[in-house]
Amino acid sequence: MIEFKDVTKTFILENKDEITALKNINLHIKKGEIVLLEGPSGSGKSTILSLIAALSKPTSGEVLVNQKRISKLSDNFTSMFRRENIGFIFQKFNLIPTLSAKENVIVPLIPSNPDTKSLDENLNELFKKFSILPKMNILAKNLSGGEQQRVAIARALVNNPSIIIADEPTANLDKKLSIEFIDILRKLKDGKNTIIIASHDPLFFDLDLIDKTINIKNAEIVQCF
Amino acid sequence: MLLTPEIISILTLDFIFLAFGAIAFFISLKIYLKWDLNSTSQMQYQLENQSHLVATIIKYIFALKLPLFLFFVFTADKLSNVIPGAMCAAGVVDSVDFSTAMFFFKILNLYVFGFWLILHTYDIKDENLPYTKYKFLLFCVGFILIMIEIFYEVSFFTSLDTSKIVSCCGTIFSSASASSLSFIFQINKIYFVYTFYAVLALIVAFYITKRYIAYLLLNIAYLIISIVSLIMFFGTYIYQLPTHHCPFCLLQKDYDYIGYLLYATLYIGTFYGISGAIMSIIKEQKQTKYYNISLTSNIIYALIVSAYVIIYFLRNGVWL
Repeated sequence: MIEFKDVTKTFILENKDEITALKNINLHIKKGEIVLLEGPSGSGKSTILSLIAALSKPTSGEVLVNQKRISKLSDNFTSMFRRENIGFIFQKFNLIPTLSAKENVIVPLIPSNPDTKSLDENLNELFKKFSILPKMNILAKNLSGGEQQRVAIARALVNNPSIIIADEPTANLDKKLSIEFIDILRKLKDGKNTIIIASHDPLFFDLDLIDKTINIKNAEIVQCF
Repeated sequence: MLLTPEIISILTLDFIFLAFGAIAFFISLKIYLKWDLNSTSQMQYQLENQSHLVATIIKYIFALKLPLFLFFVFTADKLSNVIPGAMCAAGVVDSVDFSTAMFFFKILNLYVFGFWLILHTYDIKDENLPYTKYKFLLFCVGFILIMIEIFYEVSFFTSLDTSKIVSCCGTIFSSASASSLSFIFQINKIYFVYTFYAVLALIVAFYITKRYIAYLLLNIAYLIISIVSLIMFFGTYIYQLPTHHCPFCLLQKDYDYIGYLLYATLYIGTFYGISGAIMSIIKEQKQTKYYNISLTSNIIYALIVSAYVIIYFLRNGVWL
């Protein structure tokens, strides 16, 4: 499903210094797996996520998703790839505060101009699934942290992505809401969605629903189990 | 050297084209020589990133060059006020020996850069970027052509002499002229009219029968015969004067700036015709959209010039 072949990613700073974020990474993630990327800040977790989502390109090596070499796609095609395959859950939710919960969820669908009738049915189902149906028309800024988190998850799922990427999803949540998030993850584990979580939250360690844990340190995979 | 605000603007843009074009040229050459989309090396990723930068530079060069061509003609026309003997851009342009070559390169570059954009559009629409190497090779050639054009342009501006008396367009575009174009005035102008309509009829025929190479050649022929027939025949009806053959005076206010519309439709028509035919040959499929734009624009050009003739005849009852 997702494959990294000898991937190296280097960033060049303003003073021309080079920082190697990833060094010769090889990894394989199967369809339907829930994978945890763990490691200290600056170890390269978010870089791996951005490469999977085709938000950036490797310095060398290649990234394949469903046998497609996404690291070789041009900008036009990476946008299309993301639209069709990727759902994002951000650390700070990144909701648009002046839009309602419903409008926030619709945002990723705007470029594909979906059919209004089937869209309403899907949205109702999605909001019901995450117990936020009564909050549908409330502005994002008036929602609680937990509700915002669930709206953000609904937004990540609205285009039926095969890959869901979550970058430090519980960093802004208290323990209760973090456990709630893990419960939502359980609901999502249906063998269809591949979920990749980058986190150093101990709540995720030894969690039964995690299929694979990849430990990253100093731009290299030190352990994969 | 004559330095008017218009000349300074043109020379400044020429300098910008050269500076950015030189950067783009060296990167383009590197891309042409080392491009391998299958490679996952650091070099290839660098080239992929740089190709975006170069494409942006080239797009901006073309976006400026197109209106700059019209601005050059406008400037030449304006300079006729300070060059003794010149009545319009023709006199100013004819004051140097290499004016035909300069215009040839100016027009050629509009076609080359326009075609580059079309090739680029097709290239980025395909995941495998099939034309990347060729489009950057084309730019390398285009950059050399731009350098030649700029060399001529700078030489042109430095050669302008306000103390030298030049010929007016009435003399330049006549059989008495010593220019390389004077021989066409020996030929009966009606032949140019027949040829013009015959070429247009063939363009319509080959549009229907989808003969790409013929369509390409006919559009080149249409470009040439349109300009020649405009000078020899149609222009006289626009001026309503049988002895006035200037292709530049059409751009003046006295004639409602009709020249800009005529040259624009001619450029659009022939450019899309030539580019569409080349892309049909490369992709082995008809580029219907380009052919439609080309045919429409070529017909609009023919209708406008024909309208002048018909209206003149209806009003006056005689042919010029």
